[in-house]
Amino acid sequence: MLNPSLSNSAPVSAATPSPIISLRGVKKAYHTPAGDFWALHGIDLEVYPGEFLGIIGKSGAGKTTLLNMISGIDALTEGEVLVNGVRVHDLDEDRLALWRGRTLGVITQNFLLMPTLTLLENVLLPMDFCGLWQGRKSVERARELLRQVELEEHIHKLPSAISGGQQQRVAIARALANDPPILLADEPTGRLDSGTAEGILHIFERLVAAGKTILMVTHDLSLERRFSRVVWIADGRLVADRQAALG
Amino acid sequence: MMRPRWRKVLSDLIGNLGRSLLVVLSIAVGLFAIGILITNHRVIAEDMVTGYRAVNPANIMLVTTPFDDDLVERVKSVKGVRDALGVHKISLRVQTVHGDWIPMDFNAIPDMGTQAINRVHLLEGTWPPEDKEVVVEQSKLSEIGVGLGDWITVELPSGKTRRLHFVGIVKDLTLGAAAGGGGFFLAAPQGYITPATLPWLDQNEAWNTLYVTVEEGNDEAAIRQVAQRVRREVEAQGVLILSSAVRTSENHPNRIYVDAVVGVLFVLGALVVFLSGFLITNTLNALLAQQMVQIGVMKLIGARRWQVAGIYQVLILTYGVLALLLALPLSARFSYVLLDYLANRINLQLQGFRVVPLAILVQVVLALAVPQGAALLPILHGVRVRIHEVISGIRPSEAVQTPHWIERLQKRFRGLPRPLLISLRNTFRRTQRLILTLITLTLGGAIFIATFNTQAAIERYIQQLSRYFLADVNLTFEAPQRIQRVKNDLAQVPGVGHVEGWAYTRADLMGEGDQVLDTVQLIGVPIETTLVTPILREGRWLQAGDRNVLVVNERFRATLPNLHVGDTLHLRINGSERDWVVVGFLQLAGQNLGHLAYVPYDELSRQLGQSGRGLLFRVAADRANLTLAEQEDLARRVDAYLKGRGYNISEARAGLSVLEKTAKGLDVLTNFLLILSGLAAIVGSIGLAGTMSLNVMERTREIGIMRAIGASDGTIRLLVIVEGVLIGLMSWILASLAAFPISRLLSNVISHAIFNAPALFAYTPTGFLAWLGVVLVLSVIASLLPARTAVRLTIREVLAYE
Ligand SMILES: Nc1ncnc2c1ncn2[C@@H]1O[C@H](COP(=O)(O)OP(=O)(O)OP(=O)(O)O)[C@@H](O)[C@H]1O
Ligand SMILES: [Mg+2]
Repeated sequence: MLNPSLSNSAPVSAATPSPIISLRGVKKAYHTPAGDFWALHGIDLEVYPGEFLGIIGKSGAGKTTLLNMISGIDALTEGEVLVNGVRVHDLDEDRLALWRGRTLGVITQNFLLMPTLTLLENVLLPMDFCGLWQGRKSVERARELLRQVELEEHIHKLPSAISGGQQQRVAIARALANDPPILLADEPTGRLDSGTAEGILHIFERLVAAGKTILMVTHDLSLERRFSRVVWIADGRLVADRQAALG
Repeated sequence: MMRPRWRKVLSDLIGNLGRSLLVVLSIAVGLFAIGILITNHRVIAEDMVTGYRAVNPANIMLVTTPFDDDLVERVKSVKGVRDALGVHKISLRVQTVHGDWIPMDFNAIPDMGTQAINRVHLLEGTWPPEDKEVVVEQSKLSEIGVGLGDWITVELPSGKTRRLHFVGIVKDLTLGAAAGGGGFFLAAPQGYITPATLPWLDQNEAWNTLYVTVEEGNDEAAIRQVAQRVRREVEAQGVLILSSAVRTSENHPNRIYVDAVVGVLFVLGALVVFLSGFLITNTLNALLAQQMVQIGVMKLIGARRWQVAGIYQVLILTYGVLALLLALPLSARFSYVLLDYLANRINLQLQGFRVVPLAILVQVVLALAVPQGAALLPILHGVRVRIHEVISGIRPSEAVQTPHWIERLQKRFRGLPRPLLISLRNTFRRTQRLILTLITLTLGGAIFIATFNTQAAIERYIQQLSRYFLADVNLTFEAPQRIQRVKNDLAQVPGVGHVEGWAYTRADLMGEGDQVLDTVQLIGVPIETTLVTPILREGRWLQAGDRNVLVVNERFRATLPNLHVGDTLHLRINGSERDWVVVGFLQLAGQNLGHLAYVPYDELSRQLGQSGRGLLFRVAADRANLTLAEQEDLARRVDAYLKGRGYNISEARAGLSVLEKTAKGLDVLTNFLLILSGLAAIVGSIGLAGTMSLNVMERTREIGIMRAIGASDGTIRLLVIVEGVLIGLMSWILASLAAFPISRLLSNVISHAIFNAPALFAYTPTGFLAWLGVVLVLSVIASLLPARTAVRLTIREVLAYE
C-alpha cells in the first residue's frame, strides 16, 4: 500500500530536478590492524527531494557506512558528498554539527535517547543546540511533534519507562525537531516487531508526503515495495537502483 | 524555563544520585581535610603569638634572694624597662586526692586584680583570690585532683599543714617561660595566692622573683642588654641573682611544639592537595568515560563542541559548588574541635572562632578550579569522540587490547580460575585509568600509613627516654645530704637495691663580656653511674678522669649553633666563673627541657662545696622492671621512712612518672597525629570507595552483556570483587612503599622542631596492616554495591542506554 502523494514527489515526474543529495566516487577504507578494509568501493548516487529511498543490502554490505558518509559523522577516503548544496566533508567539526542538526534528522537502530532526560526534553535538545526554536516556541513545537507520533500523554516520562517502538517514535520526533529536509534512518525498525515497525513506516510515509526526503536502510526485503526508490548495495558497491513499481 | 541542556545537567545530578554523591564526596573530602589543615595551621600560628603577647609576658625573669618594693621601683626606672613586678614564689608540698604529697608552686603576687605582667585567664570560679584562698592553673590541676570549691592541704616546712580554699581555675600562658625551669611539661602545678597569705604559710613577705617587661619586647638582643642593666641594679642593692631567663613577648614557651604541629600540618596539607587533585581527576575521568555515548548522540543531533563542553563544565562546577557547600562548614567546625584539643594541651589561648580566609580560598580553588582543570583533558577528549564509533557501540576505549604479559600469564597458568583471569584482563585493559586510580589510592594510603609510622617514631623515642630514668624512685631533698648516710638509711627499706647520690645546681651560661645567656641545669652523676645510659648524638659520655667536662642536651644546639665537641663553655656557679669543655651531645626530651648538662659528680660537688653530699638521689629496686604502681609504692615507703629519720624531702617520685611527665609534650604530638591519621583514613577511604565504585559503574554495559551471554549474578559479583581487591592490593603495595619517604619527611619535620636534628625514625606494622584491612574491606564493598545495581538492571536497560 502506497501513499498516493508519494508518486507526486517522485523524481521522474519533476521537470529538471536537482538532487538534494549527491555522492560522487565515494570510497571508504577502514584502517584495521589487519590492513585497510574497503567498505565502499566508489559510490555514485543522487537522491532527489521528496524521495523515500530504501537502501537494501546484506549485513556488512556497507549500508551504515554509506549513511555515515552522507551525514558526515565519519570521514570519507575518496570522493565527494554534496547535501543540500553543501560539501559535507569540507566543513569543520562544529560547522558540520550545526549543519547536520539543521539539515539532517538521524535515526538509528538503537534509538539513542538521552536516558536522564524526559521525552519532551529529548525532543527539545536539538532545538537548544541549533537555536532555530527557543523558549516557549520550542516547547510548543516539541509537544506537537510528540503528538504527531502519538506520545502526547508520555511526554514527561523517561525513555526507560516506555517501549522500544515508542522510543523509536521519540527518536523520530527528535530527528524532526529542527525541521530538517532530510531524514536518515538506519534500520529504524530492526529491533521492533512487525506491527510496531508498520507504525514507524506509516509515519515515514506521512513525512514523505509532507515533502521530506527520507533515506532508510534495511535488510528486510519485504519492505521493498514501500519505498519510492530502492538501491541495492553489496560489498560496498551499488548493484541495482530502481523506481518502485507503482500501483 | 530552564534550557534543555541545563536540564541535562540537573537530571544527571539527580538522576544518578549514587554517582553524584560519590563525585561530590570525592571532591569534598579533600576540601574538608585541607580546610582543617590550613585553619589549624593559621590559627595555631597566629593565636600562639597574639595570645601570648596579650598576657604581657615578662621579658626578663630573675630568681633572687629576698628583695622589697624599693628595688622594684628602682628597676622600673632602669633604661629600657617598661614595667617590673616583684613576686614571691615558693614550692610547697600539697596533698593529692590520692593522699600523696607532691610539690606545688605558689605565686604570691601583689595587686592581682590589676596585674600588669604575666596576666592569667580566668576559666572558672573567681580571680583574684582573697587571703587564705588559692587559684590553680588548669594544665596541671589534674595532678592534684581537687575540685573547685574544695580545700587544698599544704605542708609547711615545719611539718604543720594549712588548708587553702580553692576558689578559681585560670590559664597561665607563661607557664614554663623561665626556660631553665624545665618548661611547661615539667612544671609543677601552679597556685596563685595573695602576699598576705604568705605569713600564714610561714613565709616572709619579701619578693624572690622579679618579672620585667622591656620597651622592645620582641628584640632578644635588646632584652639581653636591658637584662644586663637590671642585673647590675639588682646586684648593686645587695640582692643575689640565683637564676635568670629572658624571652621575647611573642615566644610562647611551647613554641617548638607549635612549630612541630604546624610543620606536620603543612606537609600533610601539601600532600592532601595533591591527593585531592588526583582524586578529582580520576573521578571526573570515570564520569566522562561513562558519558561517551551521550556525547556522541549530542554531537549527532547538532551540538557543537563548546556546547557539549559547556554542559560538562557546568555539571562539574555544580559538583564543585555542592562539595564546597558541604566542606566549608564541616571543616570549619572540625578545625575547632582539633584546635580546642591542642589549645588545652599545649597551653594556647585561642582568640575565638574565626574564618580563615586562606582556608576558604584554597577550598574554593580546589572545588572550582581544580575540577575544571582536571576535567579539561577528559572533556576535550570527550568532545572529540567519533560519533560513529560511540553510536555503533565500538568504543575506542573498549577496543584496547589486553597487554601481552597478561596473555602470557594466562597461557602459563592455565590452572588459574577463569574469573581471576577475566578480572586480571579487565584490570589492565585501561592502563591509563589504572595508573590514575593507583596514584590516588597510593597517596591516600601512604599518608595514612605515614602518620602511624610517625607516631611510632615518637613512641619509640619516648621509650628511649627511659634510659635517663632508670631509677625506680627519684628523690629530691630540700638541702644536700651526706650520700653515705642516706645510703645506709635506705638500706633499711625493704625492696631498695642500688642507690646513687647526685649533685645538682643551676648555673649561668655566660656569653661575651659579662652577659648571661641562659640558665643551665647541671646534674653531677658518678662516672660509674648505672642509672643513666644516655642517647649520644655526638661525642662521648663521661669517663674516668674527667673533670670540667659537660655532656649537653639538644637545647645547646639551638642557643649556640656553632658549638662543637671540644669547645669550651663559661659557666658561673655561685658567683664564680669556670671553663667547662663539651665532650658530648645528648638527645633528651627536646629543646623544651631547657639547657641541661651531665657533669662528673666529683667535680660539681667539689665546686659547690658539697663533697660527699647529694641533693638528688636515685634509687633502684632490688629487682628489675617494676610497674608504675610498684614504683609508687616504693617511693611512698622511702618517703615515709626517710621522713621518720628526720630528712626534709621535697619530692619522692616514681621513675616512670617522671618519664611520663617528661614525655608529655611528645604525647600530645602522638595523639595529634592519631587524629590526623583518622583524617587521612577518611580521605583515603572515600577516595578508594569512590574510585572503585565509579570503575564498576562504568562497566554497567559490560555487566549487562555478560549477563546477556549467560553469566550468573554470582560470577559477575566474583569478577567485580576480584578486580576491586586486585586494584586495592596493588595500591596497598605501592602505598606501603610510598609511606617510607613520607614517614621520613613527617618525622624529620617533628625532629627538627623538637630536637633540632633529624633523629626520629620508626616503622610500625600497625599502619600497614590497618590500611590493608581498610583496602580489602572497602574494595569489596565499593565494588559490590554498584555491581549489585548493575546486576539488577534488566539486560534491555543496560544495552539500550548508558
Ligand atoms: N570501524 C570499523 N573498522 C573496521 N571495519 C569496519 C568498521 N565499521 C564497519 N566495518 C566493516 O565495514 C563493512 C561495512 O560495515 P557496515 O557497518 O557499513 O555494514 P552494514 O551494511 O551496515 O551491516 P549491518 O546490516 O550489519 O548493519 C563491514 O564488513 C564491517 O565489518
Ligand atoms: Mg549497519
